[in-house]
Parts: sequence; C-alpha cells; structure tokens
Amino acid sequence: MSEYKRTAVLVDDNESSHKFFLRSVENLSIDLKAYRDTDTAMKFLGENKPSILFLNIILPDKNGLTFLGELRKLPLHAKTPVIMLTSNDYSQDRTVGSELGVLDFIVKPMSMRTITSIMLDYIK
Amino acid sequence: MTKSYIRFWGVRGSYSAPFETCLKTGGNTPCVEINVDGHTLICDAGSGIIPLGNKLLNNEKNKDILILLTHFHWDHISGLPFFGPAFHPKYNISFFGPGESKEIIKKYIDDQMKAPYFPVGTEEWVANISYLDPKEKNITYGPMEISYYSAYHPGITYGYKINVNNKTIVYIPDNECLSPNKPIENPEEFSDEEITILEEMTREEYRAETNTIENTDILIHDAQYTPEDYEKKKGWGHSCYTDVINMAIDANVKNLFLFSHDPNNNDEMISKIFEDSKKIIKNRGSSLKCFISTESLKVSLD
Repeated sequence: MSEYKRTAVLVDDNESSHKFFLRSVENLSIDLKAYRDTDTAMKFLGENKPSILFLNIILPDKNGLTFLGELRKLPLHAKTPVIMLTSNDYSQDRTVGSELGVLDFIVKPMSMRTITSIMLDYIK
Repeated sequence: MTKSYIRFWGVRGSYSAPFETCLKTGGNTPCVEINVDGHTLICDAGSGIIPLGNKLLNNEKNKDILILLTHFHWDHISGLPFFGPAFHPKYNISFFGPGESKEIIKKYIDDQMKAPYFPVGTEEWVANISYLDPKEKNITYGPMEISYYSAYHPGITYGYKINVNNKTIVYIPDNECLSPNKPIENPEEFSDEEITILEEMTREEYRAETNTIENTDILIHDAQYTPEDYEKKKGWGHSCYTDVINMAIDANVKNLFLFSHDPNNNDEMISKIFEDSKKIIKNRGSSLKCFISTESLKVSLD
C-alpha cells in the first residue's frame, strides 16, 4: 500500500461535475482522479489513500454513504478525509455522514472557489 | 381469475389518514403487493401490510414471502408488528433493504418492536425469518428479477425495479425528483463559465434520473405535494406531482401511478390533482397513462 500525497479523488457519475472539479484544481498542482462509479473507484482506493475524497451520495451502482461505510472498515481509509456532494441537502444524510466521519457536505450548485478552498484546507 | 397482479394496500405517505374524507383513496401507509404465479413480493411494510397479512393467512397456499423495504422510516415499517404471517410457523419470510449487513437490517427491524415502543419483540416471530445480503446487486425471486437504486430522500433510501412477464415495474414511494430547469439561486455569485457548467450538471443529473426509469411500463412514484405545498417543503424528500408527471413523460413511462399521497389531502383534493395531471399530459401531447394509487386497486400483470 502506498500513500499518495496531493491526490484528490472524486466519485460522481456526472461528467460536468468532473469538468467543474478539474477546472477548480487546475492551478493547484493536485492530481485529481475522477471516477463515475464505486466499483471503478475502488480499484484505486483499494490500494491508495488520497489526501481527500469527494463522494457524491447518489451514484449509479451504490449509495455514496453506503460506500463510505464500507471504506471506513478498511484500515487504509479509517481516517481518509471525506467531503460528500449532494443536490439535495438532507439533515439525516448529514447525521449519517457525521457518524462516518464526513468533514463537510457540498451542496450543488457550488462555486469553484468552494472546491479550491476545501482542497487548500485539506491538502497541505 | 388474474394470476399475476399488483395490488395497492397502503398509499399514504408520512402517516396514516383514517379519516372519513380520505377513505375513497385509502388511509394506510405504503405497502404494495406484487403477486406473480403465486410468488408474493411485498414492497414496504407500512400499515397497509396488516390487511395484506390477514389476506395471506386466510387465502394463500404459497408460504414464501419476500419483503423489500425502501428504507426504515416509520411509515414504511410500522405494519410489521401486526403482520400475521410472521407469527405463523408455516411461513418463510425474507427481508431486503438498504444497509451494510444482514445484521444491521435485522437490527433496524427489531428496534421498533423493542420495549418501551412495543410489547412484543421480533423474538416472538415464529415464521422462518431471513435477511438477504444487502450487498447483492440483483435478486431473483421466482420469475421476478429485482434491482435497486438510490432515491433522493433523507437517509439511505432505495427505489426498486422489478422485471417480470416482459414488463418493468418501478416502485419508488419516497423520492424528491429533480427538475431539468432548476434555476441557480444567487447567480450573481457565479462566473459565466461556472453557470454554464452548473446548468449542464443539472441537466445531466436529470437525464441520469430519467434514464433509470426510461420506458418503464408501470411507475409507482411519490407524488405527495401540490406545487403550493412543495414551495414550502422543498428539501423534505418528496415530490411535487407536476414534476413527477413531467419526468415520467420525459422518460417515456407507459403507466404512472401517483403514490404516497399527502395525508392532509382528502379525496376531493386528490381528484383535483388527478384532473390537473390529465391536463398536463394532454398539454404535452403525451400518451402517458396516469392513475391515482388507491387502496385495493388491482392491476393485472398478465
């Protein structure tokens, strides 16, 4: 297992979201790895710990919060910093996320400044 | 005699509506029976599962039952403490729902029947109870192929897709469906480039949702709010019926059953929703057939 420095992972099936994140980090020297489903993301996350993980709640193959629950059981990801993405901000999701150690929720539509700011806070 | 059918046993969202002015539509919370060649599939275990359980005890030869739970909010599990077949040793009852493990799902079901909330615990169930592995992505139950996807609703909530008899049924009782033209609030805070990408992001999210239900033969969908209600209740996890109808048309759904009626809406109000629904469909020139889900409504699957 290796620990990647300055690597951010995005799991979201929305291609425009990938584009938005890529534009947000293009001046930050951050390696952004973007995946559209949890199965594909797991091929990377199974062996690598990113500096930060952005995880959409509604995903095509698995609920993002369910996926995070599985990740947390892996020693590698017990403390991986995680930010959840959502289009609908529900307090029960925040409660579940809090129990899983989620640092924050980003509610879409968000600004590039929000993403940049979070990246700079957590990737030092 | 119809061999394969869908029957609605509970159609109200949030809480029961046992009021005189609501009984034409029905007052029980979500429960839908899908019966195919004697295989009993039950979608959700709201208070509607109580009369369904009594019917099963009295009539059915088949003793195998699969219960799909969309989530564990009370209105979707509150009938389980009174579900007769669970207290009968001849029944085999399996549960499937959102969760990380069989043990978690069992815990969610057990907890509502623990003291001081209820005097009889699930340890009193004498049926053969089992919990399917929630990590299974597809379930085969008799002739039915079942898959699921995440809904927009507080907590982890599923919608179920059931393929049977060359028909696709989607059951999604609690879902705050998206709109393709959702305006960006405070646009002055965003650059032109951001707005362009964000608007495409919204349209893409909407396409993902319509793709999930595309060409569905029978869509049973949350339609709890009127436009006026939804203005006050955005973010509560339920849909406005006008959004559901437009989404169903965009997804080329064949038959839409408006479901999870607001318990505050009496029969007269629900009739008005139905009339307005027909107008929306006519104005869009769509062939969508729209129905109000009512208790005891039976739909043939033959």
